[in-house]
Amino acid sequence: MYEKILVATMGEYLDPILEHTFDLIQERPTEVIGIYVVETSVPFLTPKKIKEMMAKELRTKGAEILASMEQEFQSPTHYMINFKKMLLEGDPADEIVKTAEKKGVDLIVLGTGKNIVDKKLLGSVSEKVVHSAPCTILLVRTS
Amino acid sequence: MFELIILIGALVFSLLIVIKSANLFVDHLVEIGGVLGISQIILGVTASAIGTSLPEFGSALIASLSGSTEIGVGTVIGSNIWNIAGILGISATVAGVIGTNKEGLTRNWLMTLSTGLILIFFMMFGYINWIAALIMIAAYCVYLWLLIKAQRKYSKDNTKTDKNLENSLKQKKGAINKKTVGLTVLGLLGLIVGCRLLVYSGVELARLAGIPEMIMGLFTLAIGTSIPELVVTLSSAMKGLHDLSIGTVLGSNTFNILIGIGIPALLLGFPVERLSLTFDAPVMIIVTVLLMVLIKTGNMKLNRVGGLILLITYLVYAIFRIFILA
Repeated sequence: MYEKILVATMGEYLDPILEHTFDLIQERPTEVIGIYVVETSVPFLTPKKIKEMMAKELRTKGAEILASMEQEFQSPTHYMINFKKMLLEGDPADEIVKTAEKKGVDLIVLGTGKNIVDKKLLGSVSEKVVHSAPCTILLVRTS
Repeated sequence: MFELIILIGALVFSLLIVIKSANLFVDHLVEIGGVLGISQIILGVTASAIGTSLPEFGSALIASLSGSTEIGVGTVIGSNIWNIAGILGISATVAGVIGTNKEGLTRNWLMTLSTGLILIFFMMFGYINWIAALIMIAAYCVYLWLLIKAQRKYSKDNTKTDKNLENSLKQKKGAINKKTVGLTVLGLLGLIVGCRLLVYSGVELARLAGIPEMIMGLFTLAIGTSIPELVVTLSSAMKGLHDLSIGTVLGSNTFNILIGIGIPALLLGFPVERLSLTFDAPVMIIVTVLLMVLIKTGNMKLNRVGGLILLITYLVYAIFRIFILA
């Protein structure tokens, strides 16, 4: 049913997200795009060097997460999956939606697990994506 | 009333100048260091350790040089209490959790605690003289060396990163850009002028409102000059960069004591106010210990409850210090 799936993660909930994605794909040949967005925005008055350090740390973290996704999706048991990874920079929700539009994906898989306090204080990427996604979304509830 | 508004305006304006100038100074100094061939590891560690703490240091130094030592000591000790109880309290409450790296946390926390105890020890003599100041500055150099050593070890473990660093170092070697030197000097001048204006407006505000200078330093200047720590700690906690979050606060506290008090004490000597020794400095030690207790009980994480406990502790301290003890 879904031929091109975008799997987005910020590092949290990776295991349940992968589990649900594999369950959806089953034995069908599918293209999976793994995406991690480095959020580079920092508050006013953040020193430039520390901003650079933060971006570098997040890029390293993103590369590690994408590498572990690659390992899972390209394992011999999932030979029918064609996996591509993307490390982007910007606002996570905007970049996920933009990539979904540009790549013409059929489904976006995201995790969601924040409680109401966290959502109020930190915001929610999944909520923002839900409002502007160009395709179907699978929100994996993780807690 | 008009004078009060002008002074508050001057205080806010000077804070902005101080913080932006500190950033400008450190960023361009690092660039010059890179051109001169100094290792990117040394530059990176030094810039992050000192960058956010320059406003406290500048204010303490300028305050001492202009005869307001109480404001200087107050800014340093007040910043250290605010950094842990206020900034980490806010960050853990907003982000929900701040994780820790055991090795880095133990090293930085032990250093912060021991510098606090060293300060109390020297304060007991009633006056921090040049010998104490030299010991404090030497201790900071040792700490910086430990940080650089740890970073080198980390880079060796990540050979790819090492290669990147070598490449960037090679690319940066060349002639020093005049603009970079100009901006470094401008940053330094801005820092001096901004700190002078900050201390002046702080002292005048205290006089006008009938508040002791120590209280002005402990709260207004301490919280104001810690804005860089607040933005870095909060945003890195929200992005899940936990080491940077806790490391910024503990590193800043170590710098504030050893250099923020060490250098002014070396130049002029620091008289010790009794309440600083009997109340403020012990509170600084208590919140440092409380932080570790909360992290240990939270399974090596500072969680939201821990953050709220820290914030309440700060409020209780502020109420006691301002309304009862002052």
